[in-house]
Amino acid sequence: MSANSGEGAEPNLTPILDMVFQLITFFMLVINFKGASLDQSLQLPVMGSARPLEWKGEHEPLILNVDLEGRVKVNGVPFAAEKYVSSEARELKDKLRAAGEKTDGELPVPVILRADKGVRFHLMNHVIKVCQDQGYRQFSLSAMTGKEEK
Amino acid sequence: MGRRRRHKTKKGVELNLAAMLDMAFQLLTFFILTFKPAPVEGHLALNMPPPVPQTKVERSENVVEGGGPSIQQSEALHLFVNANDLGDVEQVKLENSVIASGQLTDPMKQVINRRLKSLFDLQRTPFDRIQIEVDRRLRYEELMKLIEVCSKQKLPDGSFMTKISFVEMER
Repeated sequence: MSANSGEGAEPNLTPILDMVFQLITFFMLVINFKGASLDQSLQLPVMGSARPLEWKGEHEPLILNVDLEGRVKVNGVPFAAEKYVSSEARELKDKLRAAGEKTDGELPVPVILRADKGVRFHLMNHVIKVCQDQGYRQFSLSAMTGKEEK
Repeated sequence: MGRRRRHKTKKGVELNLAAMLDMAFQLLTFFILTFKPAPVEGHLALNMPPPVPQTKVERSENVVEGGGPSIQQSEALHLFVNANDLGDVEQVKLENSVIASGQLTDPMKQVINRRLKSLFDLQRTPFDRIQIEVDRRLRYEELMKLIEVCSKQKLPDGSFMTKISFVEMER
């Protein structure tokens, strides 16, 4: 009617809206909020045999981004490993206690170590020792699975 | 009556889709701009109990009661890794013998793999774990290459080696 009266064409927006909603749904499904805790400035070593971590525990693993100076980076801010790991361990122990779970000194959560490939062993070993002192026993070393970038 | 109603609804209410489309495009723009595919990261799971003081223990044989065949105790196979100031591997020793010198290249990794394989292929290998004693200067990347070689070793029961630990080498 409006077209006949010369008020201008009214395109049917329904299909385009459908398509846009489909795209939004796709992006909403693939968005990865956990990626925020992974420091992308670190250059991880390459390891062909590394496999994705299958963790089905109730509590989230502790992710440690270790930079070249052996500091733990959280949202881009470097912290001393002792300070960060002890606060995380304390929080986890409180949660476990509240849930009535017995730990026997060992924390039932893995530590995901995302260390820069250039970090020296003694710095890396220090972070591991700090975690062990707090009761962490399971470790998972992160590495890129693809070919090394030149 | 019914017919009249149907007639009315046929005309229907026309929603203004333009506003909704604007909002949907804004959302879409946000998701496109913030979209970053997750990098392909893998993990190597290790079970590492706290370190215990290292002492030189002579390899002992447990004698089975009744004078039966002796069974060797399972123990750790020691790899010693020396590094240079750049953090590269300088020398790899298996127990007391040097098995590789120089940078950790693919052929060198194959040499180490063959030496380890020859030990773990034994029917009654006394080793069930590998302990890597590492120079404090070694770069993490180099260590991971060695860990990868170690994790490829198969135990007599067909499982892959998972008991890999590393300690700092005493200077």
